[in-house]
Amino acid sequence: MRSWQIGKRDADLERELNSDLELEEEEQRERGLLPEEARRAALRAFGNPTLIREQSHLAWGWGWLEDFLKDVAYGVRSLLRSPALTAVALLSLALGIGANTAIFSFLDAVLLRNLPVQEPSQLVLLGTGSWSGISDSWAATELYSYPFYRALQKNNLVFSQAASIFSMMLNVHGTVNGRDKTEPMNVQAVSGTYFPMLGVSALIGRTLTDDDDRTEGNHPVAVISYAWWTRSLARDPNVLSRKLKLGSTSFDIIGVAPQEFFGTQVGQAPDIWVPMSMISQVPPGWHSYSGQRDESLYVIGRLKPGVSLAQATANINLLFQQVWLSYRDEHVTQKDLADLQKTHVPLTSIANGLNALRDQFSQPLKILMALTGVVLLIACANIANLLLARSTARAREFAVRQALGAKRSRLVRQLLTESLVLAAAGGIFGIILAIFADHMLLHMVSTGTDTLPLDVSIHMRLLLFTLTVTVSTALLFGTLPALRATKLELTDALKDGRSSAGTGTKTPLANSLIITQVAFSLVLLAGAGLFVRSLMNLNNVDTGFNRENVLILNPDPSSIGYKDDEPRLNALYRQMEQRVAAVHGVTAASVASFTFHEGSWNGTVTIPGIDPAISSDVKHNVIGNDYFKAMQIPLLAGRTFEPQDTAASQKVAIISERFAKLYFPKSNPIGRTYHIGGPNSPWEMQIIGIAKDVKFQSLDENTTTLDYLAYSQRHQYIDDLVVRYNGDQTAVSTAVQRAIYSIDPNLPITHVYSLDEQVSGSIVQQRIVAQLSAFFGLLAVFLSCIGIYCLMSYMVSLRTNEIGIRMALGAPRSSVSWLVMRKILLLVGSGVAIGVPVTLVCSRLVSNMLFGIRATDAATVTGSVLGLLVVGLLAGWLPARRASRVNPMVALRYE
Amino acid sequence: MSSMTKQAQQRVGVLQGTLDMLILRTLLYGPAHGHQIGKHIQRTTNEFLQMQHGSLYPALHRLEERGWVSAKWETAPDRNREFKYYRLTDKGKKQLLVEESQWKQMAEAVARVMWPAGEES
Repeated sequence: MRSWQIGKRDADLERELNSDLELEEEEQRERGLLPEEARRAALRAFGNPTLIREQSHLAWGWGWLEDFLKDVAYGVRSLLRSPALTAVALLSLALGIGANTAIFSFLDAVLLRNLPVQEPSQLVLLGTGSWSGISDSWAATELYSYPFYRALQKNNLVFSQAASIFSMMLNVHGTVNGRDKTEPMNVQAVSGTYFPMLGVSALIGRTLTDDDDRTEGNHPVAVISYAWWTRSLARDPNVLSRKLKLGSTSFDIIGVAPQEFFGTQVGQAPDIWVPMSMISQVPPGWHSYSGQRDESLYVIGRLKPGVSLAQATANINLLFQQVWLSYRDEHVTQKDLADLQKTHVPLTSIANGLNALRDQFSQPLKILMALTGVVLLIACANIANLLLARSTARAREFAVRQALGAKRSRLVRQLLTESLVLAAAGGIFGIILAIFADHMLLHMVSTGTDTLPLDVSIHMRLLLFTLTVTVSTALLFGTLPALRATKLELTDALKDGRSSAGTGTKTPLANSLIITQVAFSLVLLAGAGLFVRSLMNLNNVDTGFNRENVLILNPDPSSIGYKDDEPRLNALYRQMEQRVAAVHGVTAASVASFTFHEGSWNGTVTIPGIDPAISSDVKHNVIGNDYFKAMQIPLLAGRTFEPQDTAASQKVAIISERFAKLYFPKSNPIGRTYHIGGPNSPWEMQIIGIAKDVKFQSLDENTTTLDYLAYSQRHQYIDDLVVRYNGDQTAVSTAVQRAIYSIDPNLPITHVYSLDEQVSGSIVQQRIVAQLSAFFGLLAVFLSCIGIYCLMSYMVSLRTNEIGIRMALGAPRSSVSWLVMRKILLLVGSGVAIGVPVTLVCSRLVSNMLFGIRATDAATVTGSVLGLLVVGLLAGWLPARRASRVNPMVALRYE
Repeated sequence: MSSMTKQAQQRVGVLQGTLDMLILRTLLYGPAHGHQIGKHIQRTTNEFLQMQHGSLYPALHRLEERGWVSAKWETAPDRNREFKYYRLTDKGKKQLLVEESQWKQMAEAVARVMWPAGEES
């Protein structure tokens, strides 16, 4: 029942009573009474109209609603009477609730929300989903070949359906038919069973089916995402007659996926899905459809109803061994077989998606959620304190009302309604704040130029969360003050508000709230200190290269028909290096497979005289001749690649310092040889130089064992063009791109970014945690200061009388200030005493997120304690000064 | 106040729970507004039952809420003014039968206790 309906029905009742009353009056008059008497008699016959109305409301079942609305109105009025308090309370609530909502929306999007598909809880992934790319390890359990997927699909007993997804997004420059410019497209290759297995049907047209995926190369069909249909095709209703050109193949668009379906990987949104059977036609042309050992797919299955995860795991592992043994070739050794026996394929639920972001952000998000929760608790404590102070001031009001017969439960209900009004207003502001915060956070986590495709919009579940938080905060901060306020010695309170000063100064509840706040603030402040110092340490890490003044470009020759293994690819790279190096302001240019934090190519090497058991994992980087110059990585010995190193000459390699120390501890490695892969591999490398160690994938990694290979001796796509320059970045960037287009105007450049951005991007998670925890820490301290300030001001105002007497009796001003300051020291000191052990315990929980600093770092904790003491005393200084300026005469006359 | 107490000795307030039945029965004659209903009950019982407006109007609204009567503003035939007329609905007619039979059972039960068959005076 809405309030306007009440109004309408009330008016109706009013009219009915009036008309009947007039009738009664007329009848009385007709009976011969004088007009006034008739009126009085009619009124008497009718009785109390207010009573009638109230009883009608009861009949309508609105009694509680009426009480509630009255309480709300009264609450709003009484909150508006103390605007300062209301403003402070609202601000802290809005910040607290807003921060919680914002962080929760990320937590929900990254960790909690289910995929928008049928029965997501039945979906499982083979492995853990932590790899992507192509593996050639023996019996890897993370990535699988297409033939493996088919064998599994045919022979398993536990999945009702199975599907596979190519683990790398294909970033292609394709053309919409009828347009002359290429545009970037994110293409995902999936098995034909992908859409049917997920139970996702097309919005327009049809999705892929297994028929599109049975034979290689002759099913040029594509399903497009709703977002891409909107963005690139302006929601063309005739989309099914459009075509796309990817590489040299024209694909028919056969369907549009539903709006809510973003794929199966949170944080990645494919524009286009093509069947696996077509993967070799899509640039860069991976041949992953037929090779038994071409492990580049995620395999997912839908559990049959009633099959447990344990049963499924057992069956899949059995199958895994059988399939692998059927792939046995002459290279399989006894050791390989033994390894296979030990291999275990874990099954991971992907109800909420295959999630690259989860690994990176789940712990930070949980920590931030905890931090915001604590901030909200501090805000609650603050408001509870404010309300407590106010309720003491309102003691008389409540005493009068109780004396007039108000029930205590009724008063408690009214006070709680006031809290609810406050919390609801805070909640509304909080949601508004959260919308802005979400945008800001999304911007902060998106490292590249594109915003991360993550849905953090405000939706039902989020509003429900906020509502729950709001109501529980209201109960949390409202209950105690309400109970306290209504528990009164009536006669005492009625005599004079001032005589209750005794209860005001002895406020164990208020004191313990302040102590709790201080303790919580200390935890947050120390945590923030640790995260900020970790970030500083990370920023100061020696990367081994100079991150300033380097541009990285990603040209994409695969999209204009260049094929892997073609000699003209190398000619193109050579030409790019030369043209770009000639650009004004460029000091060095070189292609490279990787610079920093761009993934890796891991492989095994065989070194003569070294036990193969330890000569395992090495990362390879394929580079141009000027790479070390462009990155400013010092060469410690030997030479770099030179023009005489060609496909025809002896294969040469440069190794990292760590590689040299590990495998050639006693001898000079220059001139020595090793094999990439097994001892019989054709890649016998001669070492020509040693480069200084560099950070390769992350700033906090241990030193990487790395070797560098010359692209002139290989034929393969290389992603990066590394350019060192002097002067203005924008001008150089434009000139460099123009130089590349001068070779081929159609050569797409996917991204242009600086090495510095790339390095900063690698610690985005740590930076966000540091920035947000610092913000929340300061917020907590700020709220605690308000709490201290308010409590002290209140105490001083209650004790004005006492202070006046003390001063009249000769107490110096300083001793009066000391009265206040001593109390603050006591409160902050107690808070610190509780907070320090709590901090030490909590910080241990985050020790794996720290870098270069121990969780129990004494300097950070001491600094936080000192900081809190200083701001606490500052907060108390104003009330203390006010106490010392009390004029004894005024204070005494006041009584 | 004192006059009211005196009156109460001569007149009985409507028994709890029977007011609904009385209103429904009154409306069986045709639509009527609140004042008419109250007057009718009072008059029919020779002023024995005292109608309190404080309970009449809430009762009417309760009946309307339950769908036993419907209400409409209509002009009275004798006076040139609109009154809120209540009408018995089909649901209300059924309810009247229910309440009537309940009341009969109640009255018979009370009578059996008060004037047992063997002790006829």
